[in-house]
Amino acid sequence: MTPEQRLADVFVALAGCTTDGPPDVAGTLEVLAHGSPSLLGVGAAAVVFAPDEYEAAQVAGSDPSVSRLEHDAVGWREGPGNDCRRTRTPPTQAALDGRSARQRWPHYAPRALGLGYARVVALPLRGHTGISGALVLFSHARQSVLTPGTLTLGQSMADFTAVTLERAREADRSRTLAAQLELALSSRIVIEQAKGVLAARLEMTVDDAFALLRTHARSRQRLVSVVAREVVEGHADPGLTGE
Amino acid sequence: MNPQGHEEALGLAAVALGRAARALERAERAEAAADHHELLAAKPGREFHARIAATHRRSAACHRSSASLQEAFARRTAEWTPGQGAEPRFMTGVAEACGTDSAALTLVDSGRNQLAVAVSDEQSRAAQELEYVLGEGPSRDAASAHRPVHASGPAIETRWPGYGRALASLGITSVAAVPLGTAAGCIGALAVFDPRPVLAEPADLAAVAEALTRIVLLGPDADPDLYGGTDHRATVQQAAGMLSARLGCPVDDALALIKARAFAGELSLDAVSLRILRGDPELD
Repeated sequence: MTPEQRLADVFVALAGCTTDGPPDVAGTLEVLAHGSPSLLGVGAAAVVFAPDEYEAAQVAGSDPSVSRLEHDAVGWREGPGNDCRRTRTPPTQAALDGRSARQRWPHYAPRALGLGYARVVALPLRGHTGISGALVLFSHARQSVLTPGTLTLGQSMADFTAVTLERAREADRSRTLAAQLELALSSRIVIEQAKGVLAARLEMTVDDAFALLRTHARSRQRLVSVVAREVVEGHADPGLTGE
Repeated sequence: MNPQGHEEALGLAAVALGRAARALERAERAEAAADHHELLAAKPGREFHARIAATHRRSAACHRSSASLQEAFARRTAEWTPGQGAEPRFMTGVAEACGTDSAALTLVDSGRNQLAVAVSDEQSRAAQELEYVLGEGPSRDAASAHRPVHASGPAIETRWPGYGRALASLGITSVAAVPLGTAAGCIGALAVFDPRPVLAEPADLAAVAEALTRIVLLGPDADPDLYGGTDHRATVQQAAGMLSARLGCPVDDALALIKARAFAGELSLDAVSLRILRGDPELD
């Protein structure tokens, strides 16, 4: 396979075309983490996705040791991925054995050196609503400094991923809100239907039927809509329906 | 004049004004973010900022549009004198924004079954009931195909034979509907009847539908009940439950019987339902 074909495959996978329905967050992170090393000529890659401060960051790495490193980096608040998410500084390639790296990242730098990496750079995931994470690239000592062309390609992959991730999150949010609305509206319908069923069975008014339904549900600490559905579907507590 | 009714109306108007103010704040924040990203987009290699700016502009437009719907409702409600004329409806302002007097909102479940409707006037109520009774029409098509629908004149009857004939008898000659779409699917449709040709560009309708979906029906400040204006067809559902118990049939079959009875007898669903609730035996 030519490099161009490999690149095209990664973009197709990042667009979510290889999965059914809207893309999911975890799968998209895996595609980027595993596709980056060979395409960009680096030793390893990891993606950190932290779209807002209230949700736990999600991490994927091209191998388990960099996954663990970036996972710990979130807790330490260290490393280039953390810096580029927080300070929005332009990406710079840092030497892990340099003084500034050891000072800024007292836990991160020694661990990364121990894994056999000499340089590290983080590219921001830039979506419609801002920076939502970072693509972190690790190079071995024998690999030279990454060229501007490589960094531009890496940034394109990171930007493309960021937009896909936003779509995935937006679809999740919409699904949740629409499901809540549907549940609220269909509960009202089934409660009205149950009032009619009980009123017919027990020969009472619909208002009295509702009072009975509510009292029955409350005394058993169950939702009125759940009991109502049982009444409508004909498998309610016989004590309620007078059967 | 009913002083208690007046106080309640003023209370609703205050709630609507609060929602309008919050929507305007959100619109301004989105516009500031869009301005910021447009500046950044001017630099070469920073084109992605233009996309971010466009997203913020679209959100801002939705917030502004929902703010003017809330303001229109607040104004009507504050000016209304209880006992004189019908109580103001949120949908009246929606219809106005779409360039018509008659607009109807239909909410559907994931199986495309109608869950609730909200209408601006008697004409849109009658049109929406036709769609519910006959099971065909523009809102249903817009929601299931997830695309806009438009038909006028004889084309209405060609497309929906039963619905079209009945719609013509209401004096309606043109109808358009757009889906209420989200990133994950569709929650219903917005339909307008006899829109004034100059105002009702399809784009206007889509913009109102987007503001309704994102701000008024879903989201942090949503009120899908539209200040009590959403019709859950309580009487019809009660009658369906009652009929199903009397006939020993599933509630969906009872509902279909009520619809058939209304259609055959040229009665409203409410009229048929009230007879059932009163115990009239004709349907049993």
